[in-house]
Amino acid sequence: MNLQDFLAMEESRDRDELIDLRSLDLVSEYDSHLMCPICHCPFVEPVRLQCDHVFCGSCLSSAITTFRSADSDEFPCPSCRNPTQKVSASVPRLLINMCDEIRVRCPLITEGCQEIIPRGHVQSHVEKYCGYRLLPCPDDSCDQMTRSKDVGMDQKCIHRVRRCSHCEEDILEHEYEEHEKELCPILEVACVDCETVVTRGALQEHIESCPEVALPCTASKYACPVKIRRADIAAHEQSCPIVAMGPYFEAQNTRLMSLESSMRHLQQRNEIFEDGLANIRSTLVESTRLRANSNGSGQSAQSAREQQPSARADVSTDDPADIAASVFSSNATTYLLSLHESLREEVSQLSHAITDLDARASMAIMNECLRIKEDMAHTNAAVNSVRMQVQWLMNPRLHQGTRGGAVRSNSSENEGTRTQMASSAAGPSHTSGQSLGSLRPRRPSDGGREGTKL
Amino acid sequence: MGSVKRISKELTELTESPPAGIRVELADESNVYEWKVHMEGPEGSPFHNGKFLIKLSLPTEYPFKPPTVSFATKIYHPNVTNDEKGSMCLGMLRADEWKPSSKIAAVLQFARQLLAEPMPDDAVEGRIAEQYKNDRVRYEEVAREWTRKYAC
Repeated sequence: MNLQDFLAMEESRDRDELIDLRSLDLVSEYDSHLMCPICHCPFVEPVRLQCDHVFCGSCLSSAITTFRSADSDEFPCPSCRNPTQKVSASVPRLLINMCDEIRVRCPLITEGCQEIIPRGHVQSHVEKYCGYRLLPCPDDSCDQMTRSKDVGMDQKCIHRVRRCSHCEEDILEHEYEEHEKELCPILEVACVDCETVVTRGALQEHIESCPEVALPCTASKYACPVKIRRADIAAHEQSCPIVAMGPYFEAQNTRLMSLESSMRHLQQRNEIFEDGLANIRSTLVESTRLRANSNGSGQSAQSAREQQPSARADVSTDDPADIAASVFSSNATTYLLSLHESLREEVSQLSHAITDLDARASMAIMNECLRIKEDMAHTNAAVNSVRMQVQWLMNPRLHQGTRGGAVRSNSSENEGTRTQMASSAAGPSHTSGQSLGSLRPRRPSDGGREGTKL
Repeated sequence: MGSVKRISKELTELTESPPAGIRVELADESNVYEWKVHMEGPEGSPFHNGKFLIKLSLPTEYPFKPPTVSFATKIYHPNVTNDEKGSMCLGMLRADEWKPSSKIAAVLQFARQLLAEPMPDDAVEGRIAEQYKNDRVRYEEVAREWTRKYAC
């Protein structure tokens, strides 16, 4: 049929159906192929398009009214957008059966119906069989609703109120019988313990004061097993040792409670500290690793760097606590080794520094010595010049002192100069026999030599 | 209203079994037409580790009219407008391409996919699309920067 006919048909369809099949509570799973792509429910009265896509009749009609451009006789399929002109109401029986077989809850579950039925039967179930369907009360004067199961054969109104002759309470007609027999507070019942007969209304009150009712000892929470008649309970509590110890237990309990809470608090703190310790440890391990890397030669450093991430990955995949312990112990030795290494390095540096200082010191001493020698030479020269002057000054006096002796040698003055020349060449031993006056002024260099000997 | 029924059905499905990196909720409990979607940036994209808030509004004619998707979180992406609206251009959401059989879950998954693989030929931000095509490194740098700035 073409679109116009289809729309007209959907329009004329009886819309005041009792149940909305789409809002049913589905109990069984259903195949996703049975789901209408528009309303996402199992198909309701499905129709088929030329492209073989199937939709609910009502979903398709609203799709057509939305998509069709004004009065054209085609519209795009909601699934594949193929232009479509014809709608076919003939859908495989199989499909409809599968949809109708999906099990659903009776929609009157709100009224108390617990039935689960195939979806295809819901309509008839609700119309004919469900006892929870609300019907207007058979009595025309009553405007309330009645469940269909409560409408008896006699078509009486159940909403009429009847007053109980005993307790003067207003009871609905259909509940009256039950009330009269079982619920009315005027009815008399016997206490199960003391067999006193009381009215139902006073039963509760009676139980609270009945001397025969068995009560547990007040110390039952501290494991007193005694359960005894109310009349005897006072006597028991007088003699019960556990009751006597009650206050003590109470105090212990509160102490335990406070200890537990403080313990919990301490545990938390301990956890926090342990966490902190673990952090410190891991940073320590990290730093020693890094140091070991930087100490190694280029190649080994590279290989170590390659190993490091893999080692870290291992740590992360394995049990963390276990691994942390082993890593820590192995790292402690590496840490000690590296410490040793660094100490050794420090020692060698120190020895270097010492030799350096040594060289410096000896150089300085040498320099100082040279300077002192030079100074000494200067002083010597100065001393010599002073001595020469002194001798030069002393000479005339010596000459005067030896004048007498000199008269003797006056005659041989030429000879004297000759011997002087010879003495300067031959040394002091030759001139030792000669007088001081003739010797001293002629040997300034000897005097210098004597100075150094001093 | 058929639309409310279908929308609440899809919402239930999405909250019960959410797709990877996507969490949905109603912006207002009394209005099923406005959704808030929390989307995590897909792994391997510069939006990884970012948390983006997306507003999804459904028309009353849903599923016959497409929903609209807009980013409430600023994002550096060729297919999302760089203004207050942050509208996202999805091919399947265009009125003439929308199919009533498409589900919101599919729309959201498609949007997340678009974060991982932008479609520069379908862009709304020409400049970003240009950069995405010619200078991918710089694009990823800026996108990562924006993600850190706005979506963390």
